[in-house]
Amino acid sequence: MAMNHTISGALRGSVVEEDLELTTIELSRACRASEHDIELWVVEGVLQPRGESRESWRFGGESLARMRLATRLMRDLEINTPGVALALDLLDRIAELESRLGR
Amino acid sequence: MKYKDYYETLGVPRSATQDDIKQAYRKLARKYHPDVSKMADAESRFKEINEANEVLKDPEKRAAYDQMGSNWKAGQEFQPPPNWDAGFEFRGREGGASPFGAGGGFAGQEGFDASDFFESLFGRRGAAAGGGTRRRGSAAGEDHHAKVLIDLEDSYRGAERTITLRAPAEGPDGRLVMQERTLDVHIPKGIRPGQHLRLAGQGNAGLGGGRAGDLYLEIGFNPHPLFRVEGADVTVDLPLAPWEAALGATVDVPTPEGTVQLTVPKGSAAGRKLRLKGRGLPGKNPGDLYALLQVVVPKAETDAERAAYENLAKAFANFRPRAHSQR
Repeated sequence: MAMNHTISGALRGSVVEEDLELTTIELSRACRASEHDIELWVVEGVLQPRGESRESWRFGGESLARMRLATRLMRDLEINTPGVALALDLLDRIAELESRLGR
Repeated sequence: MKYKDYYETLGVPRSATQDDIKQAYRKLARKYHPDVSKMADAESRFKEINEANEVLKDPEKRAAYDQMGSNWKAGQEFQPPPNWDAGFEFRGREGGASPFGAGGGFAGQEGFDASDFFESLFGRRGAAAGGGTRRRGSAAGEDHHAKVLIDLEDSYRGAERTITLRAPAEGPDGRLVMQERTLDVHIPKGIRPGQHLRLAGQGNAGLGGGRAGDLYLEIGFNPHPLFRVEGADVTVDLPLAPWEAALGATVDVPTPEGTVQLTVPKGSAAGRKLRLKGRGLPGKNPGDLYALLQVVVPKAETDAERAAYENLAKAFANFRPRAHSQR
């Protein structure tokens, strides 16, 4: 296979979790999920966007990691959306208890 | 290349039904999924399990794999016999660009990461689960994800990292070529493990004039010999002599920004955490640094040292370390 080589200069990115809010389209592109999938996760309470209407939804940067985690669990463990939502809630609880244990 | 026994990986006999395989896979996947499991080797175990399932769940691939015979042992040197797969056709086998490869300081990528053994049997395309499909006409380039490992010190100071990415792109003749790109990326001060850096327009090139996708870098930290990171907080173990813990002391504590002096209060027990406020990862809400106290008991080797312990025993004649378990 042919191999091209390019070098570009130093790049500055944005820290998604701190600097960015994502639209539904940006989130769907970044997670390779459909906008319909994103709506399902919102209905399930896994994602909590700001904004009243679907058109004006804005997702906090942490939604990216959460959505990717949800997608991986669904794909790899073959569980449905309520199952993934439950797993995420339990993972959150474990993380909270572990941090309380002070480990 | 070593032979892989996919049945052994899933813990099922060669005679297993498709349902048995599905059940075994699901059980193991839940146990070893790297997002769920805390086991150190979860990621590599999960890869093996996933690969075994990828072959055994698909009746065509399973039949082809079975045809090589059952005399092979896991780990045995292996070359696929010539024409071993005659008569089998794996969907999408040819035209093989992997969706996104990464080298250099990279770990992890989308989809399923196949072993050489798998690729020698089923080709690279067989592994491109959920990979980029090629569209006709103009299309926006896809966003891409890659993982970058940095050192703790990089987050304290900010840093530059050179990373190498491989991704399919459209060549001058319209055919897909693997393009390797080297990017110098600024790692912002205060970035935390698990956070993502978005580099606008650095994903896949768009086709036919479509906009380029974005590149998302997930930041991971290399394990550090002294410090552990959780969110923005950093923990360091602080070993103390018994008399330092009992009487109090001022001791040197290593921090990622250099050594600082810390006053250990008298009567400190092992397991106690002393907080150095704001000395965790920097940022708008800087984290804290915790010194986790440990008490190290010296061995009594000389007569003088033994006498010292004996004096201690006399002085603490009423000390009952196991009082809680005695009635």
